[in-house]
Amino acid sequence: MKKRVLSAAFSGMLALALALAGCSGSQQAAQPSDNQGGQPEQKQPQQPAETGKTGEKVLIYGRGGDTVSLDPATIDDGESARVTENIMETLVEYADGTMEIVPGLAEKWDIDPSGLKYTFHLRKGVKFHDGTDFNAEAVKFNFERWMDKNNPLHSPEGFAYYNDMFGGYKGDPDHVIKEVKVVDEYTVEFDLNRSQAPFLANLGMFPFAIASPKALQEQKEKFGEHPVGTGPFTFVEWQRNDHITIEKNPDYWNKDLPKLDKVVFKVIPDNSARLTALQSGEIDVMDGLNPEDAETVKANSDLQLMTRPPMNIGFLSFNVEKKPFDDKRVRQAIAYAVNKPALVEAFYSGLAMPAVNIMPPILLGYNDQIKDREFNLEKAKQLLAEAGYPDGFKTKFWAMPVPRPYIPNGQKMAEAMQQDFKKIGIETEIVTMDWATYLDKTKKGEQEMYLLGWNGDNGDPDNFIYVLLDKNNIGGGNRTRYANEEVHQLLLKAQTEVDPAKRSELYKKVQEILFDEVPVVPIAHAEPGIAAKASVKNYIPHPKGTEYLKKVDME
Amino acid sequence: MAEVETTTVPLNRAAEEVSSPWRDAWRTLRKNRMAMLGLGIIVFFVAVALLAPVIARYPYDEGELLNRNKPPSAEHWFGTDYNGRDMFSRIVYGARISLWVGTSSVIGSIVVGSLLGLLAGFYGRWIDMLISRIFDIMLAFPSILLAIAIVAILGPSLRNALLAIAIINVPTFGRLIRSRVMSLKEEEFVMAAKALGMTDARIIFHHLLPNSLAPIIVTGTLCVATAIIEAAALGFLGLGAQPPEPEWGKMLSDAKEYIQKAPWTMIFPGISIMLTVLGFNLVGDGLRDAIDPRMKN
Repeated sequence: MKKRVLSAAFSGMLALALALAGCSGSQQAAQPSDNQGGQPEQKQPQQPAETGKTGEKVLIYGRGGDTVSLDPATIDDGESARVTENIMETLVEYADGTMEIVPGLAEKWDIDPSGLKYTFHLRKGVKFHDGTDFNAEAVKFNFERWMDKNNPLHSPEGFAYYNDMFGGYKGDPDHVIKEVKVVDEYTVEFDLNRSQAPFLANLGMFPFAIASPKALQEQKEKFGEHPVGTGPFTFVEWQRNDHITIEKNPDYWNKDLPKLDKVVFKVIPDNSARLTALQSGEIDVMDGLNPEDAETVKANSDLQLMTRPPMNIGFLSFNVEKKPFDDKRVRQAIAYAVNKPALVEAFYSGLAMPAVNIMPPILLGYNDQIKDREFNLEKAKQLLAEAGYPDGFKTKFWAMPVPRPYIPNGQKMAEAMQQDFKKIGIETEIVTMDWATYLDKTKKGEQEMYLLGWNGDNGDPDNFIYVLLDKNNIGGGNRTRYANEEVHQLLLKAQTEVDPAKRSELYKKVQEILFDEVPVVPIAHAEPGIAAKASVKNYIPHPKGTEYLKKVDME
Repeated sequence: MAEVETTTVPLNRAAEEVSSPWRDAWRTLRKNRMAMLGLGIIVFFVAVALLAPVIARYPYDEGELLNRNKPPSAEHWFGTDYNGRDMFSRIVYGARISLWVGTSSVIGSIVVGSLLGLLAGFYGRWIDMLISRIFDIMLAFPSILLAIAIVAILGPSLRNALLAIAIINVPTFGRLIRSRVMSLKEEEFVMAAKALGMTDARIIFHHLLPNSLAPIIVTGTLCVATAIIEAAALGFLGLGAQPPEPEWGKMLSDAKEYIQKAPWTMIFPGISIMLTVLGFNLVGDGLRDAIDPRMKN
């Protein structure tokens, strides 16, 4: 019995192989004759790879992983967001290539000086893909779904991002949104329980995209497979672990957009294999380029290399509770002994910018007045001598075991720094362990010197400085165990300050203190590489990690 | 007289053979070209290791980061690695590490393994039972996995890698000696020694051990080769030598992401490992032919 099944399968495969071989010769002639269920589907992935009808602009996007769900409220991964933010839109959006807030589904908005009331004036004449109208009721409907645990459409697992960004759900003590009020058909008002500085920035995040209430009610938990929004593209099909296809929304409110007729997101897990696919013309754009491959892309005139503006930081830090790192002169000395330009050149293949502050330059409140310490071993030695270590000392240097976007190779980078530290008398032993243990032990403060980094997610300075260096986060994100009362007070004040200019000043002050005290030595802001065919136009990499594709065009 | 002469000559020759089996073995070995080639390689690498500070033109742990992954040149004969360190100096110092790990770990296994083997073989009964079962258990694991497990417990370092390699090779020698002792025990000279009232220790160390030396030396030499490979494997997995120590296996693994851009960072450590291992294997084979009486025609 078993044998027969096997031989049947084998002959099936043979037939398939023959059919496919026939295909390559004459496109249509060899339609597979036997009607095995899997076969038409097997052929499907090839179709999008063709350029399609003449004149139709199809962009094939190669990426490392598949989407988890297409219901943006339920997800927190970039590969899902990459697709959903082209199908569904948020009230406000981020401008091309920066974290600046620009109108989205809301044309304009008024903020009450108290910071407790936001009134949004919605865009008129916008329709969901299912033909229903986008209006204030739809906005309220979506927010009710997210914030009210008793709402029938509330996910049983909750909405992680909503919880994180808006302080829990309705009824929780720290919940930010008191009420969403429909003022008239195109005006919606948000009443807040407490003022929240990054409120607008949060509303622009992909999880808070407005979905069609009709589709939500009809699809219920299946919405994640059949997303319906107002976006420039409509959902066509999703073959798990292979591709997702979206196509132009002919009724999009901006008549000039989108430029493309179709976008196919194709999964190719291996970074090098994805580059090969790009080189052979199978895909048009890819993200997740290995830094080492940047040269190859640059050298190929058919391709273009783009870099994503950095929203991360890779740094060297200490446990400032341990001797000798409790002395700021020692930390300053080490900062002088880190050759940032050389490290960036060597370990990021130049796809990074040497870092001065702990937050990347595109964020609000970045202090560009601070001039970085130069690489100067003499000064380092001098500072060490002042601190009472003229002959240096011995210590352990923890390096992470896995490649991270912000530090592509921790071990080797540590080795390179080790050479320079040796020159100022600091003998380091490089220590490593598996990633989970590394994170856990550094959280407990078992390290002496260590390498780590951070990827920001909502583009707010609080998301960097407060998380990494506030005394409230010792035992959490503050692995440096840095406690500075002045910094703490400034950060708390900045959290509730609504005026961006004043807020910016507070963060600038904090960065000055941090630069002097050196709880961390910022090394680099990595700029992840994106490669595309030269014919792809208007693709502007965005710091948040994914792009709105409506303006992208092809020649 | 003629009769006397014919008897004395073979007697003399026999006496000669008994008195200097080592010289005899050396004579056989010297005629074995491959073995001599192997010996040449070993001597070469030992010389390199001993003279490392003289030969190396740069320190092995310092380099210019901006001078990284440069191809071989007059300045850097073997090029530079990803940290801009001179590959030639690293290879030269690496010889010290590999030879040291290879020989010392094998000597360690020989000492422990022989002792256990002698005890097991000589006393038999429950001692044999216990020791042999331990050997069985150890041999039930693929040796490199066992080494990885040991290093994982002790923590990754060159010393612990050496220890792990020594441990995994113990049963090889233990079994060898045990079977040798079991057969020697039945020999008449051992019986005689027992009858004369010699102590166990004296029998073990004066009769059994010297008579087991030949197979130990042969297996030991071959084992040095595998030990070097195992050390390189552990280094490759990041479980052996820690940076900046210039261990060949570690150098290989560090170089693997630059294999297209800077192949020399991989080629030279690879060749070095291959040559030393080849050297020990050739000598080991030659020794077996020379020493093992069963191989003699």
